[in-house]
Amino acid sequence: MLGIIERNNMHVRGTGEKAMMFAHGFGCDQNMWRFVAPAFEDEFRTVLFDHVGAGGSDLGAYDLNKYSRLAGYADDVVEIGRELDLENAVFVGHSVSSMIGVLAAERAPGMFGKLVLVGPSPRYIDDEGYKGGFTAKQVKELLQFLEANHMGWSAQMAPMIMGNPDKPELGQELTKSFCRTDPEIAKAFARVTFTSDNRADLARLTVPTLVLQCIDDIIAGQEVGEFVNRTIPNSRMIVLNATGHCPNLSSPDEVISAMRTFV
Amino acid sequence: MIENAPCGYVSLLPNGRIEYANQTFVDWSGHAADQMIGKRLSDFLTMAGRIYYETHMAPLLRMQATFEEIAIDAVTADGQPLQLIANAAERRDSEGKPLSIRLALIRATDRRRYEQELLGARELAKTAEKTAEERLQREQEASELREQFIAVLGHDLRNPLASISAGARILDRTVQTEKEHQIIAMLQTTVMRMAGLIDNVLDLARGRLGGGIGLDRDARQLLEPVLVGVVDELRLASPGRIIQTEFRIDRPVDCDRSRLAQMLSNLVGNALTHGASSKPVIVHAQTRKGSFVLWVSNAGQPIPAAAMNKLFEPFFRGNAHASRQGLGLGLYIAAQIAKAHGGELTVSSTPTETRFTFEMPLV
Repeated sequence: MLGIIERNNMHVRGTGEKAMMFAHGFGCDQNMWRFVAPAFEDEFRTVLFDHVGAGGSDLGAYDLNKYSRLAGYADDVVEIGRELDLENAVFVGHSVSSMIGVLAAERAPGMFGKLVLVGPSPRYIDDEGYKGGFTAKQVKELLQFLEANHMGWSAQMAPMIMGNPDKPELGQELTKSFCRTDPEIAKAFARVTFTSDNRADLARLTVPTLVLQCIDDIIAGQEVGEFVNRTIPNSRMIVLNATGHCPNLSSPDEVISAMRTFV
Repeated sequence: MIENAPCGYVSLLPNGRIEYANQTFVDWSGHAADQMIGKRLSDFLTMAGRIYYETHMAPLLRMQATFEEIAIDAVTADGQPLQLIANAAERRDSEGKPLSIRLALIRATDRRRYEQELLGARELAKTAEKTAEERLQREQEASELREQFIAVLGHDLRNPLASISAGARILDRTVQTEKEHQIIAMLQTTVMRMAGLIDNVLDLARGRLGGGIGLDRDARQLLEPVLVGVVDELRLASPGRIIQTEFRIDRPVDCDRSRLAQMLSNLVGNALTHGASSKPVIVHAQTRKGSFVLWVSNAGQPIPAAAMNKLFEPFFRGNAHASRQGLGLGLYIAAQIAKAHGGELTVSSTPTETRFTFEMPLV
């Protein structure tokens, strides 16, 4: 069993008293933060990692049972935090990692002093009196569709992807692997992402929180962002001009300045 | 040229909105070009396609500027699924800011159906493999349980038998008449026979546990007295029968003597049971150059051709009188003992003689 550093392909950069941890969402890996994280390296120790099953993580550590719940991912975040002795750190979570951060903050009081949630949704499937944006049938179709999109994944590719990302000769190939995931794992991650319900966890959160909401986000719509902001006791929300679900890539400058008003 | 190219061609603004769609894509999708302009590409995708676009394709384009061979599920104007494969490239200005995104689209209905079939076949194969594994596991468990049961049973049967034998010995010291002594001798013979059957059962269980029959070899001890002892015992138990011996053992034999005794006892017992009672049973043991040979012969009816192949299988029983039949393990175990010694047990049967021959190599 590899250590946590290898397991989660951890990278710590920057200088500063406080730490800022970036967690990627469903789809790609820590590269999602490549335009945002460097801006904070002067003031913070930045911590980037891949969730197990994504990017350069140790696929051997993937446990279908553990990662069938977001709590499994939250446990990993807490372990990473303990490994680095994080106290009062800033947690920045994109998409599903917003909820993973909420769970981690609940599990390890004092580890995170502030949460930044980018495009959060506590529940994607509509419910009585709640509009998540998706029907259960649509989520089922997504899981089927993921089988069709193997992203060039084949068993032969796997060892290379798990190889050392610090080796420049592998750089070119690894560049193409940002979003490449074992289809079985992609499907399992999609299932836990789109079928979880963490609405009850929001109300229990005591950590000050910033919600960053895009316009035109079909994954986590404005209504959902407002629900999150309203339900977390100590939260404020900034609506970005960015469109889509990944402002960290499409409008990094806007994300950075919004974060600066908070951290 | 692009208008009617044999592929769909769509170009998007940096915000994901469509600025151009060629005629081929218009024809495939059934949406008029002016209905598409200004809308998001996502608006024309299935919900799964939209999520995939937002979580995978859009990030990929920002990070690496191109992607190839990605599946996209669109929806036509009349609600039909339109399955596509896309290549895309992001055009950037000198500062790396996106100017536009261009997509080349190929229809992939057949290909996707085929991929689905492959996936289905893989699932089926996985299920079949799992079922086979589970069945094997169950059978192994059942087999282990059966062998454990036999081993425990054999052990538990020995204890009462030892009590009977000890009781008979004590009685033998006090009884008076010849008749009573005969009854006790019969009791002891039966105990011996029973003990032999139990040993066979245990050996079967052990042999089947995978390790085969274990040997305790010793070349320094003499083999002949052990063989003589076996024959003497059987002579006592079968009054009226003649057992002739021809022993020419002039070299050490590296063997498990008690196992060879067990083998000889089984072979002679067999010969006495199936051979003509008026003719002698012959036991022959001899060391040759490089091998040790032990054979047992009897006269009488030859073994039927049909039975020859099955003689050494467990639980095979000939057509002897029911009361004299054992479990059908004697020859099987004798063959296992031969094998454990690196040797072989063979049989020949003619109208004049039936002979079982054991031969093992000598180093």
